[in-house]
Amino acid sequence: MANKDVLDRVIKVTARVLNLDPGEIRPEHSFSFDLGAESVQSVELIAAFEEEFGIEMDEDAALAVERVGAAADFIGKQL
Amino acid sequence: MSTRLIVFEDDQFDHFLPLAWVRAVFELKTGATTLAHKIERAAGRAVDALLARDYLAPVIQRRFPQAKVNTLESLRDEETLFVNARVCGSGWTPPADRLALWHGDTLACWRTASDVTAIRDYASLCAAARGADRADFTGQWFDYIWDAMLANPAQITADFAAEGRKGIEGTMHASAVIFGPQDQLYVGAGAEIHPFVCVDTRNGPVTIEAGCEIHPYTRIEGPCYVGPKSILLGAKVREGCSIGPMCRVGGEVEESIIHGYSNKYHDGFLGHAYVGEWVNLGALTTNSDLKNDYTPVSVMMNGVAVNTGSNKVGSFIADHAKTSIGTLLNTGSVVGTMAILVANGAPLPKYIPPFAWFLNGVVSKGFGLNGLIDTARVAMSRRKVQMTDEDEVLLRHVYELTSADRMEYVRKGRRAAARK
Repeated sequence: MANKDVLDRVIKVTARVLNLDPGEIRPEHSFSFDLGAESVQSVELIAAFEEEFGIEMDEDAALAVERVGAAADFIGKQL
Repeated sequence: MSTRLIVFEDDQFDHFLPLAWVRAVFELKTGATTLAHKIERAAGRAVDALLARDYLAPVIQRRFPQAKVNTLESLRDEETLFVNARVCGSGWTPPADRLALWHGDTLACWRTASDVTAIRDYASLCAAARGADRADFTGQWFDYIWDAMLANPAQITADFAAEGRKGIEGTMHASAVIFGPQDQLYVGAGAEIHPFVCVDTRNGPVTIEAGCEIHPYTRIEGPCYVGPKSILLGAKVREGCSIGPMCRVGGEVEESIIHGYSNKYHDGFLGHAYVGEWVNLGALTTNSDLKNDYTPVSVMMNGVAVNTGSNKVGSFIADHAKTSIGTLLNTGSVVGTMAILVANGAPLPKYIPPFAWFLNGVVSKGFGLNGLIDTARVAMSRRKVQMTDEDEVLLRHVYELTSADRMEYVRKGRRAAARK
């Protein structure tokens, strides 16, 4: 289970990149199906997460993450 | 005793990036042929051996199956002529005497009867040649990649004369015209020139190789070389272009070199550019090749802006690069191997690192190397070409070689995006 601070920051970044209200984003949401992320926006999301958390993510592994909560878990393991 | 021919690249191969990431300098083109072929023509024989960066050896061996690559052990008891890939072979005569010709501190050519079997790279070659009688090299020399592009019109003309081919072996529709001397045109077997094509030979020769299709309303202005099985789609091909093999070209092209299997299918201007293999330029991709103040164009080489000395220089677009519709490339731009460019309405930065994406105004890692290789494999299969293991190993190696450069730009891009 993701650390709440990490999850909050993932939601904040996701909202900024996808131009959404953070209050509309829940951990179980899929970036593409629920939040409407286009494929190129996944590139922007990865870059934004890397900048927010100061990490480098493997592109293949990061692109395989589909949901907001899973992204927070994935990032949390690298902190 | 026959003279063995060895063509080598020197330690300034980086003057020929980004194209030279995946090919040796002697595999670059000017005119209708590679630099290696021009040297072969000058020497009067095919290369016996080649010296290049070790990581390129497997792919070079495939492209030059008859030549030894990075080993001269079999060339015992022979007179040997070493020629630097940067020597322009057209109009050049190799020295008859046994001496080393130097272009500054760079070895240009060395004829010797001494034992060369221990030489396996440029460093050991130079060490051996320093003991020989020396003279200054005075022929034409390619200092940077743009020199090959700027020489292209004259080299097309020289290659046409050297090949000695003329006439129409393919088919030319009655409504197509040759505007100028007919003996300045060669159309290879199986090539089809459709109606309303104009081939203007007044200012230079035109070669259209076997299997080409030249669609209606194409205008080709000599000197021009169109490689085998290329298709021109209502294109405006102005003077000094070398295209193909297997390219698809539309829109306006001027004084540019396009290696094989690349697509510039749609409208848009490409001028004074040098394009690698498997490049796809999206519709309306356009490069500037002249600054508004008419001053010489600078190009980023190894992180430094190098003054080309020419006021007509376009883009250098490496292999497998792709541009989106409407991409605007600034004067003297460099686009790295496998880079993906997504236009944002403004001219792009003048340097895009290899394997990077340019998206929403910043450089990013994109989908990563595996995604790029998967895409390249699909693109190649569409032309019935299979990416070999050697190709993939080469690309992965270049990815690692260019990692620090790319990540510097990626980090800048992330910071810039976060500030938006």
